[in-house]
Amino acid sequence: MLGFRLSAEKPPQAHRVTDVVINRFEHVYEVDPALMTEHVHQQAIPNWEFNRIVENRWEHLAWMHDHFAESVLSGEGLLAEVEAEG
Amino acid sequence: MAETTASDQRTNGAQTAGTQETNGAVQALIEEWRDVAYNCFSSGHKFCREVCPVMQVTRDERHTPTAFHANVVAMEKGHLSIEDVAEDYVHCTMCGACELRCPNSLFTGDFYRFRQRTIDVVKAMRALAVQSGVHQKNWKRWAELTNRWGNEPVLGWTKETSANKVRAWAVGLNIPTGGETILFADCEAAFYRPSVPRSVAQLLTAAGVKFGLMNQQWCCGGPMWETGYVDIAHAMAEHNMLDWRKTNTKRIVCLDPHDYITIVENYPALDPNFDEFEIVLAVDLIAEKIREGKLKLTTPVRRTVTYHDPCRLNKRMGVWKAPREILRAIPGLTFVDVDHVTQWSYCSGAGSNLGVEKPELTAEISRRRMAKAGELDGVDTLVSACPWSERPLTEQGEAQGIEVFDIFELVAEAAGFEV
Amino acid sequence: MATVALLDGVVDELTAICGPDHVFTGRSAVFNRARVPAPFPVHRWEEHIPSAVVLPTSAEQVSEVVKLANRHGIPVVPRAGATGLTDGAVPLRHGIVVDIKLMNQILELDHENRTVTVGPGINMLKLNEELRKHGYIYPDDPASYPCSLVGGRIGTSGWSLIGARYGHTRDLVISFEMVLPTGEIIRVGDGGGPTVRKSSSGYQLKHLFMGHQGTLGIVTEATLELVKRPEAEFSMFFSYGSYMDAWRATGELARSGVATLAGVVLFDEEKIRYLRRDDEAYIPQPESVKAVIACAAYGNADEVRVGAKRLLRIGKASGGAYLGDEISQGDWASRHDRYATPQHGRTRDGQVALMSWHCEDAAIPYPQLPAVREKWHAIADSLRERFDMFDDWGIFAYTNGAFKPWGDYLTEIDIGIWEMKWDDESWAAWVDAKRELARVSIEHGGSISACHGACRAGEVDLVPTELGGGFEVMKTIKRALDPNNIMNPSKYLLGQAYEEE
Ligand SMILES: Cc1cc2nc3c(=O)[nH]c(=O)nc-3n(C[C@H](O)[C@H](O)[C@H](O)COP(=O)(O)OP(=O)(O)OC[C@H]3O[C@@H](n4cnc5c(N)ncnc54)[C@H](O)[C@@H]3O)c2cc1C
Ligand code: SF4
Repeated sequence: MLGFRLSAEKPPQAHRVTDVVINRFEHVYEVDPALMTEHVHQQAIPNWEFNRIVENRWEHLAWMHDHFAESVLSGEGLLAEVEAEG
Repeated sequence: MAETTASDQRTNGAQTAGTQETNGAVQALIEEWRDVAYNCFSSGHKFCREVCPVMQVTRDERHTPTAFHANVVAMEKGHLSIEDVAEDYVHCTMCGACELRCPNSLFTGDFYRFRQRTIDVVKAMRALAVQSGVHQKNWKRWAELTNRWGNEPVLGWTKETSANKVRAWAVGLNIPTGGETILFADCEAAFYRPSVPRSVAQLLTAAGVKFGLMNQQWCCGGPMWETGYVDIAHAMAEHNMLDWRKTNTKRIVCLDPHDYITIVENYPALDPNFDEFEIVLAVDLIAEKIREGKLKLTTPVRRTVTYHDPCRLNKRMGVWKAPREILRAIPGLTFVDVDHVTQWSYCSGAGSNLGVEKPELTAEISRRRMAKAGELDGVDTLVSACPWSERPLTEQGEAQGIEVFDIFELVAEAAGFEV
Repeated sequence: MATVALLDGVVDELTAICGPDHVFTGRSAVFNRARVPAPFPVHRWEEHIPSAVVLPTSAEQVSEVVKLANRHGIPVVPRAGATGLTDGAVPLRHGIVVDIKLMNQILELDHENRTVTVGPGINMLKLNEELRKHGYIYPDDPASYPCSLVGGRIGTSGWSLIGARYGHTRDLVISFEMVLPTGEIIRVGDGGGPTVRKSSSGYQLKHLFMGHQGTLGIVTEATLELVKRPEAEFSMFFSYGSYMDAWRATGELARSGVATLAGVVLFDEEKIRYLRRDDEAYIPQPESVKAVIACAAYGNADEVRVGAKRLLRIGKASGGAYLGDEISQGDWASRHDRYATPQHGRTRDGQVALMSWHCEDAAIPYPQLPAVREKWHAIADSLRERFDMFDDWGIFAYTNGAFKPWGDYLTEIDIGIWEMKWDDESWAAWVDAKRELARVSIEHGGSISACHGACRAGEVDLVPTELGGGFEVMKTIKRALDPNNIMNPSKYLLGQAYEEE
């Protein structure tokens, strides 16, 4: 489906990650909704918007790297060199 | 609604001498938006300031999201009244940059399912102003004419944009009425820039998409929600949904991002059976047809273009790939891109009818946007994908020698159509 | 309830100076220029509203406003980005707020001398978007990088996250034009012309006119350092099994002598515990992760590479575990964004409550970090025990020296405060706690503030203790330069300078 369909916007099933964190979408954590029942309440955020925020965050972080320097060095790569050098 | 007199305001300060109804409305607004307002009040760090197109021009803290939220808190504490702040809230294009860039959305909005909702607060304040009898002169007039004519008065105060003329753009294209899929043409596009709906219609036909037009398209209602005339917005939306149902329409193709976001964000709450509709963006659909090879672009377009990310597409919906994909598919075109994150702080200034009330501000925002385009090597054309942005951008482009096109106009040219 | 009225005619005079579009006295204009992001006594908002706001567009206008204020005896409060965390831009005695945001032009780019001259209302991120086109960067990078402005950076003498490599605000601002408290316009730097980096002529006035929180005048133009845009960025996050292990490793990294090293940050155990609430990098970490160190390096690609390997070796040898590229790069790139989010707040029973961010920002000598950490947490715990509106968000320590990262550390305990709950009792307890936090810093040979300034209720009481005889000099200077006590009066207890006369 290309466009917006209301029924496709409901959040998927939650799984517990820690005693205060759950997740619904792969690699994306969420607060345990039970913690937002007294002083502040969650908003109804459709899936398209939820995913937009997640994507915007990664895009923003990539932009920040690019804003400060021409390139980013990989610690994993350099660490492998260090280990090979002994 | 009782209008508070200036002398009332002076004697009573923030304690609006409004009717009980007004006071109730103030309380309701505070109830609804208190947490969101405090979420900003307790941060107050203004990460939103430099991406805000209005703040880039006025640099007046009254026009910041920070103030838009703090005012709610100040109203709760009895320091400010709607009369004190109504005019401040005009200074917003609802581009979405602030709430996107706000760390409370960008970094934790998904985690907590609680994000900074600045546009909603601005809408609520504008609605409260209208309800309290505090009108902005031109917005009021605009709303009255929209209500009277069914479409926004985009041709000026006297040239009627009535619903029975809304299909005039389609003359000679033989588009049927209704059917499973319809093209929703947008007031500005239908009346002011008919080359856009004509382009989209021809492209859809060429790509083999069967579609019709509404019996009588009314304004999507977006600008009415945005400027506080909520009752009119509801009437528009209800009319449109009824019209779709009469013709058994299931799929609505929007060529304008304003219409799309209005329908997606506002209509479902009005209709328990909204799920029967699918709302599609024309940019997504056209990009898909090009990708699938169903729409062939063979006529070279010899221009050096840059792309303007329309705010509602980019900042509010995260749609920035499809238009770039389309532009890269046009033969002959040199595309000088500015990434979409940099463009979070760009805007045409047209959104939420800012230009109706503050034309000089819209013009200055557009001028700055076009100046950015002017800095790019060899760029002679700016392409947008939002008819509302194209009017002020075109006006400012003239001064800078840059032409402004809608993306569909360019695609139509590349597909060999006369536009 | 009225706003605080100015003398008749003053608004007309201001309008004559700044133009009708740039003078405001309306309620929303003044209520929205009463506070900054630091915890604010919401219940006493009106005490902090200015009487009028002006948005000048030139040094001459600023000067005329200041002269007018002298004639009428009206306080003047400079306001830049209003992100300052020590209430510098918060009026204590109403008066005129001089908001310099419209003075945000890039005035001159000098490739030969490698300087850029700007208005004080420009933001660093915006400036760098322009400088990038020429291969430069202005590397003043506070966590408020997207929102603070050059004028405020000078007004606070700010601290930069990458200052260990490039220096802090005082090192990056070469000279500036300013309006003195009596309205004269002067240029200050180390000495010499506006682009001279080092001079020994006369007094070093640049330092004097930085970090004074607007008590000694208003900057109207600044000449800034242009640095070659870095070819490469490197960031690494290492985890440790205990705070003390991480503390030792922090010292080793900071003393490594790696020239491209831009900063080392130490996260303590409470900070990690807090980050597990909602930070995607920390949620999946095993319980054995108790402390974390972050390091960043910038510069030419070959030099960063070599330095990075040295840092990685130290990280490994000190018992740290590399947390991977995704966390290292992602967390570093989010260094501006993760601080002040109210949803981080939790009441004692674990419920989310929207809390404001307090950031203590002491400068603490390296050997004292463990002791200060314990005392600070005890103060925060005691607050939380008494009022279920305070929350301990843990401690960071950042290398504080410019160019030479060893020595002392900008040490920050972050405390969440549920501001909707303020009342006089909790506010008083908070002010006491702030004073105690500051006292600990001083007792351990540190300074109350490494970057924000020390003007807030509570901490400010101890400024004379910290500065000793220096505070007497401050008062003498203040009285000499600002005979009518116009500029940001009552900040830094400088009202005392006039009482003694
Ligand atoms: C999320 C966040 C993160 C932060 N991180 C850091 C950090 O890493 N490092 C750091 O140093 N600070 C940090 N801060 C604090 C703040 O950003 C800095 O103190 C900054 O320098 C303030 O700049 P501003 O433009 O907001 O100034 P304002 O808050 O407007 O003013 C600060 C002071 O300078 C005075 N002033 C303003 N303009 C002038 C002028 N033209 N001439 C003379 N005086 C003037 C004001 O009167 C006031 O006393 C952070 C703040 C936030 C909200
Ligand atoms: S809207 Fe967001 S970014 Fe702007 S001041 Fe409020 S919390 Fe900060």
